[in-house]
Amino acid sequence: MVVAEIRIELKPGVADPEGRNTRKALELLGFNDIRGVRSIKMFEVELDADPAVARQECEEMCRRLLANPVIQKYRVDLR
Amino acid sequence: MKAVRVCVLRIEGTNCEDEAAQAFASVGASPEKVHLKQLLGQCPSDRRRELDSYDVLMLPGGFSAGDYVRAGAIFAARLKSGLRKELVAFVEAGRPVIGVCNGFQVLVELGLLPAMDGTMAEAPEAALYTNDSGRFECRPTLLRQERRGKGPFTAGIPHGSVVMCPSAHAEGKLMFPRGTRRRTLERLLENDQIVFRYVNPDGEYAGYPWCPNGSIYNIAGICNPAGNVLGMMPHPERVLRRETHPDWTRTPGREEGDGLPLFRSIVESVR
Amino acid sequence: MSLEHLFIKRPVPFHLAEIDLAAATDDELKALSGEMGLSLSLEEMRRVRDHFKGLGRRPTDVELESIAQAWSEHCCYKSSKVILREHIFGIDNGRVLSRGDAGVMEFDDEYGYALRIESHNHPSAIEPYGGAATGIGGIVRDVLCMGAQPVALVDPLFFGPLDLKGKVPAGSKAPKYLVSGVVSGIRDYGNRIGVPTVCGGLFFDESYLGNCLVNVGCVGIVRKRDLRRNAVGGVGDRLILCGGRTGRDGIHGVTFASAELSARSEDESRGAVQLGDPITKEPLIHACLEVNSLGLVSGMKDLGGGGLSCVVGEMALAGGCGAEVDLHRVPLKESGLAPWEVWVSESQERMMLAVPEGNVERVLETFAMWDVDATVIGRVVPGNHVTLEWLGVRVLDLDLDFLTKGPEYCRPCKMEVRSRQTEEVTPKLPDLRTVTLGLLADPNIASKEWVFRMYDHEVRGGTVIKPASGRMNRGGPSDATVIRPLPDRERGLALAVGVNPWFCGADAYRGGMASIDEACRNIVAVGGRPDSFTDCLNFGNPERPERLGELRQAVAGMGDLARYLGLPVPSGNVSLYNETASGAVLPTPTVLGVGIVEDVRRCVTTDLKREGNALYLVGETRREFGGSALYRRFGGRGGEVPAVSPERLRRSMDEMLSAMGEGLIASCHDVSDGGLAIAVAEMCLGGDLGAAVEVGAEWEAFSESNTRWVVEVEPSREGKFVSAMTVPITRLGTVGGRSLRLIAGKGRASLSLRDMRKAWSGTLPRLMG
Repeated sequence: MVVAEIRIELKPGVADPEGRNTRKALELLGFNDIRGVRSIKMFEVELDADPAVARQECEEMCRRLLANPVIQKYRVDLR
Repeated sequence: MKAVRVCVLRIEGTNCEDEAAQAFASVGASPEKVHLKQLLGQCPSDRRRELDSYDVLMLPGGFSAGDYVRAGAIFAARLKSGLRKELVAFVEAGRPVIGVCNGFQVLVELGLLPAMDGTMAEAPEAALYTNDSGRFECRPTLLRQERRGKGPFTAGIPHGSVVMCPSAHAEGKLMFPRGTRRRTLERLLENDQIVFRYVNPDGEYAGYPWCPNGSIYNIAGICNPAGNVLGMMPHPERVLRRETHPDWTRTPGREEGDGLPLFRSIVESVR
Repeated sequence: MSLEHLFIKRPVPFHLAEIDLAAATDDELKALSGEMGLSLSLEEMRRVRDHFKGLGRRPTDVELESIAQAWSEHCCYKSSKVILREHIFGIDNGRVLSRGDAGVMEFDDEYGYALRIESHNHPSAIEPYGGAATGIGGIVRDVLCMGAQPVALVDPLFFGPLDLKGKVPAGSKAPKYLVSGVVSGIRDYGNRIGVPTVCGGLFFDESYLGNCLVNVGCVGIVRKRDLRRNAVGGVGDRLILCGGRTGRDGIHGVTFASAELSARSEDESRGAVQLGDPITKEPLIHACLEVNSLGLVSGMKDLGGGGLSCVVGEMALAGGCGAEVDLHRVPLKESGLAPWEVWVSESQERMMLAVPEGNVERVLETFAMWDVDATVIGRVVPGNHVTLEWLGVRVLDLDLDFLTKGPEYCRPCKMEVRSRQTEEVTPKLPDLRTVTLGLLADPNIASKEWVFRMYDHEVRGGTVIKPASGRMNRGGPSDATVIRPLPDRERGLALAVGVNPWFCGADAYRGGMASIDEACRNIVAVGGRPDSFTDCLNFGNPERPERLGELRQAVAGMGDLARYLGLPVPSGNVSLYNETASGAVLPTPTVLGVGIVEDVRRCVTTDLKREGNALYLVGETRREFGGSALYRRFGGRGGEVPAVSPERLRRSMDEMLSAMGEGLIASCHDVSDGGLAIAVAEMCLGGDLGAAVEVGAEWEAFSESNTRWVVEVEPSREGKFVSAMTVPITRLGTVGGRSLRLIAGKGRASLSLRDMRKAWSGTLPRLMG
């Protein structure tokens, strides 16, 4: 079995309101030295396949569902 | 008179299907609320439905599948994997498809909009992204009808006229790929694909709050080049009567809701 | 103290213990209650011990937990029932269709409407987002289990001041953080399930610092033939558990709600806050309504406080039967739960259906269609016992009479009227302009648009009067919201919140009356006739006589007025122990009033309509400043809390509604917080029109006397209006210009629309950032 970590993040230049709002909430809880907060989405997918195939499949998942290429980029890491 | 059959398609999390069906019923059509599983055959046989047997397809608003992953993405993926051929055939036959709010997001994720290079794009060519305010915005919005050509949606809404349809969404900012933004917009204009743009009460293309999301070129709704697939963020099905306009107690002249002509146009176009 | 010796482990392949209550000393009984998180008093523990002594056996842990749930304040109202029975229960006008988990009233010949309001205070104070979201989930299920389609949500919220100067007390969180979390929770849940959140309130006071109040209400619509009881139908019915799976989340929610919050609550109680899943709930609503409307179900009930332990017992008892449950069939989120955990877990999004055996298959098929889990977990049997099995072992066998007839207390009450104990100190006021703008900008008065624009208040397409009235994107406040719940008729429901915690703090009886008066005048202001109420009573620790005294007086005030008006309270909720080391919350009896609008096309809004129209005050202004916004903001003390004359209220409502019916009233706004000056200013803002208004003395501009409205009348209709009204009316001035010109005794002020809008609209965005 392989475990793939699929990381979906916003492309540079796309505003990140979730990060911005999260930062505000953290500051309200008293964290005053924050320089930046970015929101990143992570999926952990377990596959019964060998690594090369698994990577290909995960990239296909990104293209078909997990990422919208207009605003998001993705990275697949296998463990 | 021919009965106009409308498929109001839903999955878990769709939540504007009642008023969407009501909208079509109030202009004389026969709407049916259909669960995606009924089209896919994942149901008892007496509940099975065929997309082909409908004249109009409506994707109503809501939070399909919780809007997990991305607004509309899961609904789109399920449609694409199980119903691709039928959908493409439906669109290519020229039958009207309308997606409102979450339905618009689904059409974009599906590649049925803006679809400048074929009926259905492989990957999304646009995104409906988080509003500039970072918040869910539920407020009245004014839309100017911008399309010059004919088509099933705008026969009853003259070019240049302004209608009020409320918006209620957190992700309605239309975006195009960074490098090709200008070119995409130009092509949309060339193809006469822009149907609605946000304006203020003076008819100007104004910023927030009149454009609630920061959408490019104040775009509220677009259609495909053929003009039979429409996606829009604001909700015409919420203004079927004058009493759901936000200022109806001070505007005695209006007789019906601004959303009604859109549904009437659709139904008359297929009758 | 070690209690080990009292736990006797049973030789079974899972966790099950018997507790040797008979061998326990009083101190050990007390310690046991604490250790197991039962929140039972010594007296109650003794009662349990004696019951099992009589049976000649020891209780299992499952049984003890079950009793603790059923006997909690939250489930059996042991401290408040006596008071409620005396003042509130039993008011009837012949239109009450049901008093179940939600009350149901007659809407028209064919339909009823369901209503209920409930608190979710303690969970929200610990985890604001999840706490508030699950509050919405719970109240929606209360309406759903009557067979009703939820059509509106309501959310009165109470927090510490946003512009807090000092430190937040230990164990609690910054009000701004709580507001943001609670509002997001309600937004995400309400918007996702597609029920519009149409009205509410946002109140700020230091007393809510450590213990915010999150009250959530829901209204539904039900065809009379689809109305269900929260009961089993009869022997042989199957018990079908549907919706979400059961997990460790939400264990001991009710016992947690029935104790004071402390600095340690956060760490100890996170497990008591459940997680919500609106995307399970949304299809759950569809599936339940579908099987119900097909007539497949004999009764439904939601799983809320106490989980399975409460729902099974209450449904069986209400149907005059017993029940057998195979607990091991309950679908779980995770493995390894002990039977008692499964039995009392308050995991969200679950409903119990009692279904005649022959219908089971069709019910399960419908749920499968919606991809919602549904599992037969037991059946209804003769007798009055609930029994539970787990892997073939009987783990619980309880007599329902013993289990559900929880204790009832007549605790000592101390009746005080604080406003009479303090000498009145009139504040030294700045000029009229500063006072008026200051009040408009007060967070308790300022626009709540920052909140309600985040709520989808228009989904379902029937919101006729929205939270804002007037020009697009420049509206003023609405008094009540109106929804048209059914597409084929013009009849509507007007919803309004009434509560004034400061009035209640100074004089609970008058404050209680004022909450009813406020809800009534809000409903009347849009053209609705008040029809019923549901109430959420948020008070401190009832074991303190002065706290219980506040409850008794407030409830008496509410009850006396509701009874006089013939308006029933078919449902409600009591939340006690809203108290921290720094004190109790202000007594906060929140009322959700529902009115019937005969024809929504005749509704009236608050925004001024036309230059040249006349403005009138309906009602009488008295020098009543106890608890007023003016005194709170400018340093006044004491003073009489505004009283209500029930007779005058009734007559005023009748005359207002008939004047509206004749089309004499162009706009109307009730006079409440901040008084007349603020009411007129808000009408100006909504219409984006000025006005010239004069009253005899400065205090008249800010008094908060009850039973008053400001109305706008066209000149051609003034004669008819004046002769139609027998209650006192006063001509205040006229509509026109771009400013509010206010003359109050010797004070004069001219306030531009711009300045007023800045003060009123700017406050919340500025404070919330």
